[in-house]
Amino acid sequence: MSPRYLFVALLCCGLLVSCGKKSGDKDPMSETAVVALSGDADNLNPVVSSSSTAGDIQGNIYPTMFDVSFNLREGKLEFEPSLVRAWEFTNGGKDVILYIRPDVRWEDGILVTPLDIKFSYELYGDPEVASPRRSYLESMIHTDGAFDVDKSIEILNDTTMVFHFTRQYPLQLFHLNLSPIPRHVYRNADRRTLRANPANERPVGAGPFKLEEWTRQQQIVLTRNPTSTLPYPAKLERVIFRVISEPTTRLTELKKGDIDLMQPIYPEDVADLQETSPDIKLVTLPPRSYEYIGWMNIDNDEWHASGKKTLKPHPLFGDRRVRQALTYAINRKAILEDQLGPYGELAVTDFSPIFRWAIQHDLIPYPYAPDRARQLLRSAGWSDSDGDGLLDKGGKSFEFTLYYNVGNKRREYVATMVQENLKQIGIKVNLQSVEPVVLYKNIEEKKYDAFIAGFSVGLAIDPADRWGEITSPFNTVAFENRRVAELLKLGLHVPTERDAGPFWKEIQSILHQEQPCTFLYWVKDIVAVNRRLKGANPNILGVTDHMWDWKIGDPKSAITY
Amino acid sequence: MYRYLIRRVLSAIPLLFGLLTITFFIIRLAPGDPVSLYVQGDVDPHYAEDLRAALGLSDPLPLQYVKWLKGTLTGELGVSFSKNAEVADILLETLPNTLLLTTFALLFNFVLGIGLGIITALKRGSGIDHTVNITSLFVYSMPEFWLGLMLILGVSLQLGVLPASGMHSPLAKYLSFPEYVWDVAQHMVLPVFVLGVASAAATGRYMRGSLLEVINQDYIRTARAKGLSEVLVIGKHAMRNAMIPIITLLGLSLPFLLGGAVIVETVFAWPGMGKLTIDAIFSRDYPLIIACTMVSGVMVISGNLVADLLYALVDPRIRYD
Repeated sequence: MSPRYLFVALLCCGLLVSCGKKSGDKDPMSETAVVALSGDADNLNPVVSSSSTAGDIQGNIYPTMFDVSFNLREGKLEFEPSLVRAWEFTNGGKDVILYIRPDVRWEDGILVTPLDIKFSYELYGDPEVASPRRSYLESMIHTDGAFDVDKSIEILNDTTMVFHFTRQYPLQLFHLNLSPIPRHVYRNADRRTLRANPANERPVGAGPFKLEEWTRQQQIVLTRNPTSTLPYPAKLERVIFRVISEPTTRLTELKKGDIDLMQPIYPEDVADLQETSPDIKLVTLPPRSYEYIGWMNIDNDEWHASGKKTLKPHPLFGDRRVRQALTYAINRKAILEDQLGPYGELAVTDFSPIFRWAIQHDLIPYPYAPDRARQLLRSAGWSDSDGDGLLDKGGKSFEFTLYYNVGNKRREYVATMVQENLKQIGIKVNLQSVEPVVLYKNIEEKKYDAFIAGFSVGLAIDPADRWGEITSPFNTVAFENRRVAELLKLGLHVPTERDAGPFWKEIQSILHQEQPCTFLYWVKDIVAVNRRLKGANPNILGVTDHMWDWKIGDPKSAITY
Repeated sequence: MYRYLIRRVLSAIPLLFGLLTITFFIIRLAPGDPVSLYVQGDVDPHYAEDLRAALGLSDPLPLQYVKWLKGTLTGELGVSFSKNAEVADILLETLPNTLLLTTFALLFNFVLGIGLGIITALKRGSGIDHTVNITSLFVYSMPEFWLGLMLILGVSLQLGVLPASGMHSPLAKYLSFPEYVWDVAQHMVLPVFVLGVASAAATGRYMRGSLLEVINQDYIRTARAKGLSEVLVIGKHAMRNAMIPIITLLGLSLPFLLGGAVIVETVFAWPGMGKLTIDAIFSRDYPLIIACTMVSGVMVISGNLVADLLYALVDPRIRYD
């Protein structure tokens, strides 16, 4: 086709389009909000999905057991009725009676009953299904190591059921908040292939929205579910989740006004957005994720060689004084100010500042003090005995490789700063960037001596995986401390969350003293919201929390958050 | 001719099979683990083990290979680890999107490239020739992602004339058919331009060189001497020979366009194979990686076959009997 014909063809299309337009047609976009996502959902079945995108969407399609919110002033989760209209603890807190609403129906008109909930929990607990949330059921009744659904869940009548736990603990309601899926749809589904069941692409929910369309790698379209009573049909006709992985493209669409809500916004883009886009409001979320430099606490070579039996201190980082010295020697404040500015917060330990009641406020962050670092290293036996500018001990120089993920600019910067800072005190750092999948695997398997990584914390305090058993993949630095182990046991077995406060505070003091890793900073996510989108309340639970209250309005009118 | 075709297609089967087998082992022996990415802060740490078992990754490698082989021979491409859907369905969804993009980019590439090549060859040494040459070099050396982003910022954001991303507007399904075609056409302009323009610069250079070589030959002088019009001399006599190297280029461009689409698809959020392949590799989605490799392999093999067949069409000296 020559360019002339192509031009004519396009012109014809244009003409046809203009003829096709009917005056008075209501623009469907006036009742539609658009959310930009960096990645597609992996699945829309809450039993098996693990992507954050799926999390943002499912909560609006499937029934939620409770209407959960996070009280920032108190620093704790709060539960309001949703599918569960009331609940009570009996048998010393080990049993929880749930009263289920009798009037909630799945999209296809069938009632949501305790049978659906029991069936769903059976799936969550089945290792064949491989649900990422199987650990939520850990404190319910198990027989021969397997989740026993019949002993754990008892249905009293059409609207009442009892969950039996082995103990009372603070996270019980949180663990009862797993979304049910319709039993009549999945009853005969093969468990091993549940994650690829075709029904996952046509979810039958009961929430304020229902799925209209899911085009892979393009968009997920939700529309109002007119029959929803959880809590009511969405106020907005439609919400579109668009997948745009390239950050610059995403930002352009936001500036053009084609996107109403977007996360994350990078701190370096904030000034430009504030200057050029008055219609965009930026919301900063409280921090849930932090970055750290991991120092391997044990001699990992020896540990691996002995089949994970021999526990000896790491030749470089096994000594607490060395780890403290490293934290003193790294100018964390300068890194924070350069990279995040007001969108970050110096991390003292890995207990998020959002849990105010549990924070040990007496701890003073390690300042940048290279002299103090030198002193500590000297006391640990490290000195420059051969005059080559590098510290040495027993004929071995203080030199190591720091691993971090390739393509992450912030971590590249951190790595360079660490190299520079440690050079000042006579430590040689070799930098090695690694592809993320390889990096995470090697970190989980404890193959690296030193690395930069990040971690996201849950909405309830549960430090057991991070600082408990040395074999846990999340205990990435193989930290082991007898007192911490005791405190974990005490903290996780108290009746209410607040009772654990003193134990969590003591753990923080120990972590601060031991410096199993150098905690760098907490990251506060930034969310952009177009002022035409009313009622949006991006918060720590997610950007789509209470999406049923979203409305499209005049960008000039006062916005309520 | 048909026998040649059948022979070529048959010989492609072991080639493709070998390629897939090598890919199967390379990706499994490569460092990294498909389940690592799922093990995050608020996820059950033992989830990795459950998931590995569910995905059949805890089986020994030879058993995994046998299972895969059995599946492939029976036409089962498996289930994607990261997208939790049949690989065949995913390919059916994304492949047409890429083909739409690359076909138009290929057309744009050759129409523009051949056109510029002819003009610069005929006007050799003129101002036009120099301008086109310098511009071609400039465009050819520009990274695709940079050009893409610059166009998005300039054309889409500043001028506001074309959409910045996606394959169609979010609510395109409510449009009438002609409106839909117009909508998709608008979304295609920038990605097709970025994908095709650098190759067009190269095609133009090939065309210019090839045509210059031909028009200096005796038979062209003869044609002119016998009084044929310039249009006939160039269009009929010179072009037929000058097109031979361009046809090789056309065949070899097919897989290149598919590979080149990775960057363009990412920048413009075009839901195609390129982006799919990259995501599959980064998430170690073995079944999807193998399927994407298979598609690329088929494209390379068929591209070469098409080039060979086109030779016979333009060059009567070549026979495949």
